[in-house]
Amino acid sequence: MEEEWTPKITLFCCNWCSYAGSDDAGVGRKQQPPSTRTIRVMCSGRTDPGFVLTALMEGSDAVLFTGCHIGDCHYISGNYKAKKRFEMLKEILDEIGLEDERLQLQWISASEGSEFAEYIRKVTEEIKAIGPSPLRQEWMK
Amino acid sequence: MNIGDRIVAWSKDEEIKKEGASGGLVTSLLTASLKGELADEVIALQKISEFEGVPIRTSNVDEVLKCSGSLHAAPINLTKFAVRFFEEHPDGALALPAKPCDARGIVEQAKRKKINLEKTYLIGLNCGGTMPPITTMEMLEKMYEINPDDVIEEEIEKGKLIFKTKNEKKAISIDELEEAGYGRRENCRYCETNIPVMTDVACGNWGAGKNETFVEIFTEKGIKLMNNAIELGLIETAPATEKGIKIREKTNSVMEKVAKKWHEKIFVPIEDRLERFHYYMDVMEDCIDCEACKYVCPVCACDESKCIDFYDPIDSYKISIYHLVRLLHLSDSCIGCGQCTDVCPAEIPLTILHRRIADRIQAKYNYVPGMDMKIPPSFEVE
Ligand SMILES: Cc1cc2nc3c(=O)[nH]c(=O)nc-3n(C[C@H](O)[C@H](O)[C@H](O)COP(=O)(O)OP(=O)(O)OC[C@H]3O[C@@H](n4cnc5c(N)ncnc54)[C@H](O)[C@@H]3O)c2cc1C
Ligand code: SF4
Ligand code: SF4
Ligand code: SF4
Ligand code: FES
Repeated sequence: MEEEWTPKITLFCCNWCSYAGSDDAGVGRKQQPPSTRTIRVMCSGRTDPGFVLTALMEGSDAVLFTGCHIGDCHYISGNYKAKKRFEMLKEILDEIGLEDERLQLQWISASEGSEFAEYIRKVTEEIKAIGPSPLRQEWMK
Repeated sequence: MNIGDRIVAWSKDEEIKKEGASGGLVTSLLTASLKGELADEVIALQKISEFEGVPIRTSNVDEVLKCSGSLHAAPINLTKFAVRFFEEHPDGALALPAKPCDARGIVEQAKRKKINLEKTYLIGLNCGGTMPPITTMEMLEKMYEINPDDVIEEEIEKGKLIFKTKNEKKAISIDELEEAGYGRRENCRYCETNIPVMTDVACGNWGAGKNETFVEIFTEKGIKLMNNAIELGLIETAPATEKGIKIREKTNSVMEKVAKKWHEKIFVPIEDRLERFHYYMDVMEDCIDCEACKYVCPVCACDESKCIDFYDPIDSYKISIYHLVRLLHLSDSCIGCGQCTDVCPAEIPLTILHRRIADRIQAKYNYVPGMDMKIPPSFEVE
């Protein structure tokens, strides 16, 4: 029997909120598929578009920007910067023919473990539905 | 003289007047800015032939005199030369002629603190477009049956491109030339900025009589430029005629409409996502990583280029990160000057790719780059 394909999703988490949120999901033993590869950054404002593009080129089927809710960023405006970059990247990825689902943004607080797990389940299903990224090379596992 | 004034002007020096494109005003303003010590240096385009101009930076008046005349087949952009000047002379003052794309590049660089606009005298040149030199020579042989080396003069009159040799004069309409794949560079066809309103004074032949330049004054610096040349006894002025003003406005609006049509014709949306994907992957495939497109781009302003930070020539990705970062980075600032396409040895239509994305981003954020200093780059977050 052929094994079911699990997408590879690169998840950028900010140290103060969404990383703590993902930790909360783990501590609370919330079920989530093994689809994410988490990269912790100090603030969502550190998520350089170059990181996102590299993740996509290296075979990620989707990339997620996550961070503190607007107004809660520990460095005041980091998440506004992340939001702007996300919006601009989105236009470009759409223009070069990537599906909408492959780049997403979600604010997650430190206490939102269940929301976090729920979100990862949802994204994984969405990516499963659209299949592997066209940017993925044949030799990428 | 006041801001908003529209006048005609010309050089008092018969030689400059004769050599100039339309009365030698620009050459006289440039030399006056050196003589009157408004500027330490001047940038101008020295003519090598009708098809080649070399930008020079100089404080020598005689050198500036050698640069008069409009070179329509020398599609150079002067922005980076101005950036170099301010790198070398942070407190210096500079004067230069500027087509809309030169001026827009300079404004974008000024926003990024690479050029001090307060100390830059921008002598605007109206622009209806530039032509690619090599294709233009081919056009001369095929369409005009003239040997390019024999050309002694070139001019544009009533929508016709005219070439003169010692013994003949031939005119063909620009529409006809462009239908045949010649004429202006592709980006110039859809360039909608003909009068450089972001400069200090805009100079052009639209609405002017023979051997005079129509000038519109936009800034205090523009008034200073003109008054300085008048006080030095180098130029003469007269009010523009009502008829001249009308002709200039009308021609400008006709040109804008033509540009919009070209835009529609060239930028046909690729509706299908997969087709779009293959279009971008295929078109970028020939890139040989020479980075020339980065070097010439008038609005690139990094000290240490972001586009090569994440990229290695040995990457075997489907599309180069270098280009993706550039597409992103220039999405707010690309002015569609065409320099990247011009230099690409692999003949990748880079300007189209950049404009496809820039059109989307610039419309989304309602940001038109290079038009004024009021709006910060749209990448910036308050
Ligand atoms: C490519 C081009 C297209 C133009 N199209 C129009 C038009 O459609 N309508 C209109 O009203 N006017 C147009 N002009 C402006 C017009 O041709 C004259 O330049 C202007 O009227 C000033 O004339 P002048 O005698 O005072 O300039 P001059 O005294 O002859 O001085 C001209 C100055 O322009 C500089 N120059 C020449 N070629 C270029 C170039 N390719 N890029 C940057 N600088 C250059 C020279 O270095 C020189 O300093 C255009 C100019 C150029 C260069
Ligand atoms: S891009 Fe516009 S301003 Fe620049 S040379 Fe072409 S027509 Fe002139
Ligand atoms: S990307 Fe190309 S067209 Fe756009 S400003 Fe740079 S050189 Fe000009
Ligand atoms: S100029 Fe052309 S070949 Fe050179 S790096 Fe740019 S796209 Fe590649
Ligand atoms: S610290 Fe979480 S987004 Fe800035």
